[in-house]
Amino acid sequence: MALLEVHGLTKRFLGVTAVDRVDLTVERGELVSLIGPNGSGKTTLFNCVTGYLGADGGRVLVGGRDLTNAPPHRVARLGVARTFQQVSVFPRLTALENLLVFLQQHQEESVLARLVRTPGVRRLEAEAIARARRLLDLVGLGAKAGLEAGSLSYGQRKLLAFAGALMPDPELLLLDEPAAAVNPTMINQMKEHILGLHRQGKTVVLVEHNMDVVMDISQRVIVLDHGQKIAEGPPEAIRRDPRVIEAYFGR
Amino acid sequence: MRRVGWLALGVVVAAAPWLVAAAVPRQQRYVLHVLIFTALFAALALSYDLVVGHVGSLSLAHPAFFGVGAYTAAILATTQRWPFAADVAAAVLAAALVAALVGVPLFRLAEHAFAVGTLGLALVASVVANNWGEVTRGPLCITGIPKPTLAGLAITTLPAYYWLALAALAGVALLYRGLTTFRLGRAFHAVRDNEPLAGAAAINPLKYRLLAFTIAAGLAGGIGALYVHYLSVMCPEEMTVALTVNLLVIVFLGGVGSLRGVLVGAVLFTALPEVLRLAPTWRLVIYGALLLLVVIRSPGGLESLLRRAGAR
Repeated sequence: MALLEVHGLTKRFLGVTAVDRVDLTVERGELVSLIGPNGSGKTTLFNCVTGYLGADGGRVLVGGRDLTNAPPHRVARLGVARTFQQVSVFPRLTALENLLVFLQQHQEESVLARLVRTPGVRRLEAEAIARARRLLDLVGLGAKAGLEAGSLSYGQRKLLAFAGALMPDPELLLLDEPAAAVNPTMINQMKEHILGLHRQGKTVVLVEHNMDVVMDISQRVIVLDHGQKIAEGPPEAIRRDPRVIEAYFGR
Repeated sequence: MRRVGWLALGVVVAAAPWLVAAAVPRQQRYVLHVLIFTALFAALALSYDLVVGHVGSLSLAHPAFFGVGAYTAAILATTQRWPFAADVAAAVLAAALVAALVGVPLFRLAEHAFAVGTLGLALVASVVANNWGEVTRGPLCITGIPKPTLAGLAITTLPAYYWLALAALAGVALLYRGLTTFRLGRAFHAVRDNEPLAGAAAINPLKYRLLAFTIAAGLAGGIGALYVHYLSVMCPEEMTVALTVNLLVIVFLGGVGSLRGVLVGAVLFTALPEVLRLAPTWRLVIYGALLLLVVIRSPGGLESLLRRAGAR
């Protein structure tokens, strides 16, 4: 069974159909990119899959479970992590706390246990801190653990948001333009991180404009244009596909 | 050194009735009365800050919950002859229940609309208190609310009531700390700082907003109950929008989202107008000028001044 199945997904804004009957499936362990010109519906599709927008039609299944129009926190709780195009952190929490937030709801949610800080919750907290420190080190922010996230640079916040998405060890990771608006060194770092996840067997779906990144690392590329899926296949085939060239460059 | 300082402060606060008796024997009753008000206001402001400071929802409904608790206790203690502990518990539950019920539709409103919605609730509660004569006696007020008895101990003197109010404040402060730090605090702050991202972190924003709102309302209801047992009378004027204004001054000029800031704010802005009675004509002018000064010099409230002083 595919990990992510999207059937006939449709989203309209007033008169505009932003996502138009899109079908796609992502198998466990795959690294898939979603590309398309600006306004082709990539982020809207992400938002429908993760519960940030209600779909007007179609179904979304993750691991066979119907998550169509489930609220974001439920989608996240069931193992779907995502990042945002606009770099998004909790500015007044420290870098370390930013990561802790992303794991705690997956460990336990009992309000009473948290209030009285039972030994069990304290142990989970210690585990979470250990994992958060490892991830901060992984993305090179180990020295910034105690700083407020709002005081970090744009690129650092982007890495922090990425590390946050990794905290709960998600089944499915949806990354919205991880390489946008960061310097070339950091783009290479991001590429390495994503490939590293892929080698660990994680399932990753990427929305990305940077063609070098897309063609370099994806196993499969899905192309959207005007909300419709116009092509799908391995990177080499997509690069030569006349429909894709037309969508990007016009006739 | 800091430990010693806190301990000394604790001793002074706990021993206040004796210190007051020794220092100003002729005004002992008046000073104690102000101190009781300060403790109750501080507790109420802390409960209010749970919503305003920690989940970032500008609620203006706090007088309504205070009033629901106050009336619940007043009615149960007078007509039903409930014991003190039971009517306080009922006040907490009644206020929390109202908050949980109105919270669901209110939190569907975004920021400013939420503030207006909660203001509407406060106004409706005030109108009901004034006009539902059979239950609240309206402007005639509920009178003859008995002095509290706790574990066989009658709390009749001002010092005894001061300690009761202080114990309530300590309880609220402890709960406030427990709720606003560690995992719960982090979840509240995540919702406050970036709601969409909180969703991606598997946090249900509505759940945490409602949780803070309901607990804050329950506490306000309980403080309302202590308040009417102290005054022995409950009138509709006790739950007007003026109460919200006081709370806003304490929380925002003290230091929103900070235990120390809110406590300092409560002491200063409850005691200050009383101290200024020394200059009766200019009292409110001076008070207003001081408020303006804090707002202009330290928009983050007194807490940010304290932080700057501490960092130096």
